Amino acid sequence: MTILGLQIVILCLVAAAVVLWALYFPYPSPLIRRWLPPRKRWPEAQIRTWLKQGGFQRAFLRHFYSDPERIAPPGNSMLAPADGLVTSAEKHGGVRYLVIALSFWDMHVQRSPVSGRVISVESYGDGFMDGEGREFAFLREKPCPVQKRLVIATDAGRVAVRLITSLAARRIETWVRAGEQIERGQRIGRILLGSTVVLELPAAASLLVRTGDRVWAGETAVAEGATSHE
Amino acid sequence: MSDFLWSSGHLGWGVFALAVFTGLWWLLGDLYWRLRSIRIGRFLVALAIGWVIGVGLILLGFHIGSR
Repeated sequence: MTILGLQIVILCLVAAAVVLWALYFPYPSPLIRRWLPPRKRWPEAQIRTWLKQGGFQRAFLRHFYSDPERIAPPGNSMLAPADGLVTSAEKHGGVRYLVIALSFWDMHVQRSPVSGRVISVESYGDGFMDGEGREFAFLREKPCPVQKRLVIATDAGRVAVRLITSLAARRIETWVRAGEQIERGQRIGRILLGSTVVLELPAAASLLVRTGDRVWAGETAVAEGATSHE
Repeated sequence: MSDFLWSSGHLGWGVFALAVFTGLWWLLGDLYWRLRSIRIGRFLVALAIGWVIGVGLILLGFHIGSR
């Protein structure tokens, strides 16, 4: 009976590890994440080979351009603007920057976190930056990676979304214009082969997610209680 | 064969080894895929061949051990 109990415990542990793997895929299971550097969390070398050769596998491109419907949860909470992993939620100068890193396997259409009126759609940056920390280059007065910043005015204040490219990115499409009224969860743009979306929130907004959480554009509530900033 | 599935009040060591090996092989493959530059097709073929060899060794070991 002791042997059977031991066998069941070991099988349960292995099964739990496999279930965690499946739940977090393509991101690494939390069991191994702490030992993997960020740039080793998916087979980036293969993507770089495709870039160098100028051709992507068709199956990958079909997957990459997918644009599934999303249903926004009820309420007034702010939604994630992109699919991906929350890699930072730091405050700088009265603004909280929620950084969402997209993997190549994430859906790349971005959605509005709130309902409101688009105040501006501006382009920044001049380089296709790569490497750790590129998300905050715009705060360090260093050359910024190519990005677009959408500012949305809501009844409760202003919220901004930055769509930031990486070395691999080709361009950013935005599908809304200044002055346009947009709905919570509405499609706002797409970063072609891009990798980072930053949601700028008032520091007073209370976050509903933490660093390391996985979020889905237009479906995951990430914060609530916004007030004006800028 | 009955010893393979169930033996003396506990799971047979054969089926137990198969289940544990399959789970760990899959997880090890995932780790390797993330750490090395490798084409997905080749990787999946290598993963399948490794699994077949592993299962073969387990079956062989069980067969030799039960003679």
